[in-house]
Amino acid sequence: MFKQMKVWLVLTVVLSLLAVAASCSKAPTNETADTNAGSTAGETYQSKGDEGTVSGVIAFLGTAPAPKKIDASADAVCGQRNPNLSTEDTIVADGKLANVFVYVKDGTTADGKKITGITFPVPTEAAALDQNGCQYKPHVMGLMANQKIRITNSDPTQHNVHPTPKVNPEWNQTQANGAPPIEKTFSRAEVLIPVKCNQHPWMKAYVGVLKHPLFAVSGADGTFTIAKVPPGKYTIAAWHEKGGAAGTEKTMEVTVPANGAGKADFSFGDAATTSTTPGLKMMPAIEFPMLGRH
Amino acid sequence: MNKGVFRFALLVAGATFFLIIAGALVTSHDAGLATADWPLTDGHFLPKVTIFGITTSGVNMVGNLFWEHGHRMIATTVGFLTILLVIFLFAREKRRWVRRLGVAALIGVVLQGLLGGLTVKLMLPLAVSSAHATLAQLFFCTTVALAVFTSRSWQQQRSTIEEPTGVSLRYLCATAAAVILVQLVIGATLRHSATWDKPLPTPLLLTHIAGAVIVTAMLGTAAVRVLRRYKGERFLTRPATIALGLLALQLVLGVGAYLARSASPNDPQPLKPMVAITVAHVACGALVFATTFVLTLRCFKVLRPRESVVSSSEFVVQSSG
Repeated sequence: MFKQMKVWLVLTVVLSLLAVAASCSKAPTNETADTNAGSTAGETYQSKGDEGTVSGVIAFLGTAPAPKKIDASADAVCGQRNPNLSTEDTIVADGKLANVFVYVKDGTTADGKKITGITFPVPTEAAALDQNGCQYKPHVMGLMANQKIRITNSDPTQHNVHPTPKVNPEWNQTQANGAPPIEKTFSRAEVLIPVKCNQHPWMKAYVGVLKHPLFAVSGADGTFTIAKVPPGKYTIAAWHEKGGAAGTEKTMEVTVPANGAGKADFSFGDAATTSTTPGLKMMPAIEFPMLGRH
Repeated sequence: MNKGVFRFALLVAGATFFLIIAGALVTSHDAGLATADWPLTDGHFLPKVTIFGITTSGVNMVGNLFWEHGHRMIATTVGFLTILLVIFLFAREKRRWVRRLGVAALIGVVLQGLLGGLTVKLMLPLAVSSAHATLAQLFFCTTVALAVFTSRSWQQQRSTIEEPTGVSLRYLCATAAAVILVQLVIGATLRHSATWDKPLPTPLLLTHIAGAVIVTAMLGTAAVRVLRRYKGERFLTRPATIALGLLALQLVLGVGAYLARSASPNDPQPLKPMVAITVAHVACGALVFATTFVLTLRCFKVLRPRESVVSSSEFVVQSSG
């Protein structure tokens, strides 16, 4: 009988450790993140002055969820600075969706060059991210790899800035009120890097890092324009944070004529039927089937 | 026997249980990285306070800093209490093995502090955070054991009871305790696998549920057998009854924690009901483990196999140092 008990005990321990090991195994590679990350330094982009634009409108189909009120009582300053603090994940006005990151994911220029193989100059000015009213402003933003991101704290309280990338190094830095700006860079392309504040768990931002400057974020009216796009045929991707842990990404093929404009209208929401590709894989998490979708 | 040592050991065990709750609150609030600093919080240990209009410099205990720095302050207190307990044991306790257990507890609390610092500095790697949560349970168990060994009920002379042939309750209880420890490791790994805003990983969740079934079977069998065989022996029936009650409560809390945690990715922040029920599940798990451990110790104290019935006083004499 002792032997039986020992066998069961050993079996339980081994199975449990195997399960733990399995769950700790490396997450699948972020395909979206690798889109531009893998490109080696290619030919430097030379403008011919015939660039066009890709513009469009992001529609939200179906009933938009109402923003959820945030309880900021844990830090009185947040409530004072921003009495109507609420979630920013689905901002819809007149059926148009804000905060969608739209970018050139892949494609070929009119002269046959892969867009991901071209080296674009990195802007010298830093992209700005502010903490204001205990929210990140902007909520979604883009910048180029190796471009500086300048993070400021406009609140009279302390924050900590904590990006959680998958292919770039993770860091976590406290920023007291009145502290100087934090300046950092992300050296690898990654769409998108979640940024959180562990002091105020509702604070979230998403930073898209690309090897090229061909990206935009939809405004409050749902419109966006990607400027200075070399003529060619491209896969345009639109990413929104809702839709599970990975967010939702949709793509479409767009041709940009010389000095012309390409059109890329996307739709999100429960009633949207546009084909969807998996978004970024931020966690090796699988939704538990018994309760359906979160 | 020294009542003071026992009472102090009980105080340390109680403080450690409180520390486990504080640690669980940190995890449920996702407050572990509320500061990147360690061991101090942004250069301070004491919280910022305002007395008679004068505000001292210190940690601004707002937002998740309240949970993270509060946890550090309680942990520091437990560390000092453990040092005092060891000093107390070396001054008053005659049994060398009990003194050594005290030293083991001190080593445990130091390691636990270092693991806590390591997990902050490395930004909460799953292995280190899970090890931190597991060592917390083992340290709690050690402090409970110290309280048991220094108690009057443990040290008074007791007749040993002959176990009938068949499954030994001593080993059944020991196996139940070991299975619970494995379940605690799985639970700790599950909790640290995903923050409140992400779904829990399904394979680990299913493993934890399977673990709950095994724990229920093992501990249920052990406790029910103790209650049936040794009805009048309160030394054994009391921890068995408590363990059964806690197990039932833990199962209910487990279902509640699952439901609350499944809904939390849709919430704007860690909501109080989710935090309360997940923390209660962690705390009750610690109590189930500690109670089963006490039951195991007591079974080994008074139960003997049929062929070697001896006096328990002999056991105490042999064991003391």
